[in-house]
Amino acid sequence: MLQFYEKCKKAVIEGDSDLALKLATEAIDKNKPVLDVIEKGFVKGIEEVGRLWEDGTFFLPELVMGAEAIKKALSLLNPILSDQQTKGFKKGKVVIGTVEGDVHDIGKTLVATMLSASGFEVYDLGFDVGVDSFIEGADKWGVNCIASSALLTTTMQKQRGIIEKLKERGIRNKYTVIVGGAPCSRKWADEIGADGYAKDAVSAVTLVGKLIGGD
Amino acid sequence: MEPVVLNNIKIEIKEDELLKILGNMGRVESWKGKGIEEKIAEVIELASRLIEPKGIYMIAEGRSLGGTDIFDSLEKMAFSICTIGEKLEKKVGALSREGSILEAVLLDSTGSVAVEETANYIESKIAEIASGEGKKTSPRASPGYGEWKITNQKNLFELLPAGRVGVNLGNSMMMSPQKSISFAIHISETPVRLRGKNFLKKL
Repeated sequence: MLQFYEKCKKAVIEGDSDLALKLATEAIDKNKPVLDVIEKGFVKGIEEVGRLWEDGTFFLPELVMGAEAIKKALSLLNPILSDQQTKGFKKGKVVIGTVEGDVHDIGKTLVATMLSASGFEVYDLGFDVGVDSFIEGADKWGVNCIASSALLTTTMQKQRGIIEKLKERGIRNKYTVIVGGAPCSRKWADEIGADGYAKDAVSAVTLVGKLIGGD
Repeated sequence: MEPVVLNNIKIEIKEDELLKILGNMGRVESWKGKGIEEKIAEVIELASRLIEPKGIYMIAEGRSLGGTDIFDSLEKMAFSICTIGEKLEKKVGALSREGSILEAVLLDSTGSVAVEETANYIESKIAEIASGEGKKTSPRASPGYGEWKITNQKNLFELLPAGRVGVNLGNSMMMSPQKSISFAIHISETPVRLRGKNFLKKL
């Protein structure tokens, strides 16, 4: 069994989506313990991809390929997890978007992809998202975390707007709020009263894991 | 000098530059044999069909600029706004929506390389003109980078009819198409880097 988990892990590290899908199919066909296949196999793979990217061994396409490989496998495996197992595996829900007035999309999409590849349930609102839409989405899907991206010094003020609006509605403590994007920093997060700042997709996974995922 | 429009600028998208922008500074070897090289070649080919490199530039005496006094201490400046058009970013959006994230990331990064090359081309044109007058040029500076405020983007758009190359400025100072670059260059026998205390006092 350990050998099978290793194969799953390796498929993700290699960014081999076809192999990941084949192994997921095999796990189902041979009645392997699906939750273990996910957690001891595929998830270990994406964790290793993140580590290799952080230490500079991997570059961006390899990170994305790893995320795509695990997402392929999870698309088959997730639906057959029992409700209880899903609860155990899913680390939390995140609503994410690029703030109003800002149409930069790709970095935010990458964060959403990595979060979802790492076991978070992600609701991606896209770009040019108004403050109210973030909060309505958070409420509608019952998320734990609101993540916003801003790529301009002019639009990052909208991240402050999200916090202010949550306070105004008396629901600031209901959500963990994190920020990211080129002009953002830990200092900016502190200044506006956000719970955290992530500089890239991998650190966003680590941050959200710590804040809401029980890591 | 009246603004000069340059259409159909010929640029080369260099794979090395794309690899750099993707975080591969030449020391990463693990990627070979995973099909990434082929995907990069495909994306560069796709990008070359989608990009429309063009730009507008003008050279002006610093003191005679209407609508702004930000460069009034500098005797001669060049300003430019360039773009690769909107086709590429529309394709990136479509790829992203259909879940082809790798292709979207690669194409987006290729667009960044292409617009950088477009700016490099215009910069070289300006350097040629300066050289003909026995002058030199500073490196490019863009609003929103370093300490130059992004709100100064307005000044560049007041100076240059960027609509002639299809570039517009939104309320948040974001240019559309996204893959556009606006910049200033100082022309002088002893050009100053457009950053640092002395210059920034004027911004």
